[in-house]
Amino acid sequence: MHERLSFHIKRDSALHRLNPLTKIFLVLALILVAFLNPWYWTPHLLVLIAITPLSLLARVGAEYFRAAARLILPAVGFLFLMQAFFQPVGEEILFQFYFLDVTRESLMFAFSNAMRIFVMVSAFTLFLLTTHPSELMSDLTRRGLPGQFSYVIISTLQILPQIQARAQTTIAAQRSRGLETEGHFIKRAGSLIPLVGPLVLGSLVEVEERAIAIEARGFTSKSLKTSLHDIPDSSIDKALRWALAVIAILSITLKLWLS
Amino acid sequence: MLEKIKNNFNTQTWVLIPIAIAINIAMGQIVLVLRLPVYLDSIGTVLVAALCGPWAGALTGALSNIIWGLAIDPNALPWWPVAFFIGYMAGRMAQWGFFKSWWKVVVTGFVVALTAAIVSTPIAVYLYGGITASGSSFITAYLLQTGQGIWEAVFSTNFLVEPVDKITTAMIAFAIVLGLPKRTIGGYPKPQQVEAEGGAGRTQMYIAVGVVVLLVLFAAFMLRNILGG
Amino acid sequence: MAFVNLQNVTYQYPLTKSPVLQDITLQIEEGEFVAIIGPNGAGKSTLCYALGGFVPHFFKGEFSGMVEVAGKKSSDATLDEWVLTVGLAFQNPFNQISGAKYTVFEEIAFGLENTGVPREEMKSRVEQAMAQTGITDLSDRSPYTLSGGQQQRVALTSILVMQPRLLVLDEPTSQLDPIGTREVFGVIRAMAERGMTVVMAEHKMEWIAQFADRVIALKDGATLLEGTPQEVLTSDLLTENGFGISRYTSVAREARRRKRWRADVPLPVTLDQAAEGFAFTPPS
Repeated sequence: MHERLSFHIKRDSALHRLNPLTKIFLVLALILVAFLNPWYWTPHLLVLIAITPLSLLARVGAEYFRAAARLILPAVGFLFLMQAFFQPVGEEILFQFYFLDVTRESLMFAFSNAMRIFVMVSAFTLFLLTTHPSELMSDLTRRGLPGQFSYVIISTLQILPQIQARAQTTIAAQRSRGLETEGHFIKRAGSLIPLVGPLVLGSLVEVEERAIAIEARGFTSKSLKTSLHDIPDSSIDKALRWALAVIAILSITLKLWLS
Repeated sequence: MLEKIKNNFNTQTWVLIPIAIAINIAMGQIVLVLRLPVYLDSIGTVLVAALCGPWAGALTGALSNIIWGLAIDPNALPWWPVAFFIGYMAGRMAQWGFFKSWWKVVVTGFVVALTAAIVSTPIAVYLYGGITASGSSFITAYLLQTGQGIWEAVFSTNFLVEPVDKITTAMIAFAIVLGLPKRTIGGYPKPQQVEAEGGAGRTQMYIAVGVVVLLVLFAAFMLRNILGG
Repeated sequence: MAFVNLQNVTYQYPLTKSPVLQDITLQIEEGEFVAIIGPNGAGKSTLCYALGGFVPHFFKGEFSGMVEVAGKKSSDATLDEWVLTVGLAFQNPFNQISGAKYTVFEEIAFGLENTGVPREEMKSRVEQAMAQTGITDLSDRSPYTLSGGQQQRVALTSILVMQPRLLVLDEPTSQLDPIGTREVFGVIRAMAERGMTVVMAEHKMEWIAQFADRVIALKDGATLLEGTPQEVLTSDLLTENGFGISRYTSVAREARRRKRWRADVPLPVTLDQAAEGFAFTPPS
């Protein structure tokens, strides 16, 4: 239940050195192409010729494959199964399961859908592996995103593991006092209250004090914010962003033109 | 417009949002541990929407979903617009005075559920061809098998699943608000939206719980009719 | 005109029935160290918030009177301007961590980023502030992995780096263990020695006696006593009004009652002072 919330691996590579915004462009372009390109094998090809090589280039290949195996594949696999069984398309029935027909078409459909989701999530994973959250937020703030967004994203990433840990402690503590996490539905529903009460109310009463603490440090200051870290943005970055934008626009036009 | 968005956000809003997101995610996971047939992953979103306004609620919902999608379950990622509109609608309902007594909160939960069902239908249809990674797609598949159109099938499924979850969510959020010290509430942008009226007492709460139980029974009945019939 | 000037400050929180501060008038000179003592609910924290501008700017409610620091009135400034004049640190170290930063260095720079300090100046000010409070070695640690005492020193540094004219501390050690308490008071002592103007709400009398120039005792939102630590902290009025007093004072008072205390030595607050006054008749 306790998930590690920072994927970032500190290494020196071309991908690590790219500006965070360039990498966001890359992720979005990959997703758009995967979802909009009409050719059946596009998403599969993207994984083979773009995402996997990029992860090796970024020297995070091992971590990428681990994340894929632990997080992405199970989810995508489940989606694939759901779709293969439940998608009522096609004539050519491969086998039957109660009232469900698995056809060649439903398999094909399920496979490409699953691959699209795979492209989407693995592109994001690659981005998160090579970009530190504070680097990303500093860069976006410099480009005009209100500073409060940076606060929200980063403190969420830091608070979540704490609240999850607190939830886990509460569950363990209540279990040792005989809380029902097994057994009948109504018993389990009843055990929700002693779990939620302390967890939620405890964190909510802190809000006022935490708000005072950040206001004492100029959180609402109207002056233009500065940043401790300098996030490089080279001419290569700018050129790449243009190229990726063109790819994205082309795939949208192609989709509109074909439909 | 911009002013209306801005008045949802003061420092307490910005501090509350990360906590609300964490509550959403932690609750979602607790419910998985307890294997309850609801999600309850928008309690924080509804809370922010009621205390701060629709735009703050929408932001909380969308961010919760994206973080959940990136860190825990990739299949959640495409559904962020649903969470966005859950927060937005809950905030609007609170603004219209529907977060002040138990029965009004039940109405809020129902409207939020309807919104969620409407917004998730096109995502399910266009992105997944109707069958998603959620267990409820079993119902969709059955409805499709019986010859229903894809839009009807997906929408009926959503509409069967959502109300129980969203009404329970809204009620838990309301119970939390009732439990908060008055002084704490005063610091948020919209404290007047959650000023409890006469209908916030015990009796009303039991009636509201009764309504939810009836809804569960109704949904179970419908489900048996659909699958058994 | 005094450096800090409070005139007839009366304040009532929203949704409450009676005022927490009643007609408080108070002057503090530049470089002075003033301690505020009082039982729970006496209005210590509220007075700190009034100096820090959070009363009434953040809490709203009914405010009358005037708070003036370094020639500026808090009613003429917005809160974000006022925090540049008055720095506020308070009890819970954990809640003072912004959460928006991954390292102690970034955490301390947070206030400077918000107020638009240029990068090079920011770095040198952060380094300097960390050196002053002795936390340079924590620079790359995550604020969440620190002990309470370390977190509180980070919180103090985060305020000091903004170079306020007045430092307000609301029971900065009440949630710390003895080691953390000693660490934090070490930093506060250093601030006092460098001539910082400090107002500190505190109930640890032994520590107050060590560096306060003046002590103000609050009761029910009004000033009960005011004077040197020696005068105020050993006054009989404190015990009569439900204040906690130093254990050395209460032991010495008992000794005096039993005629075991030297008549020429005043009642003590600290251990050192206490050792002076005991008069023993050696057993014959």
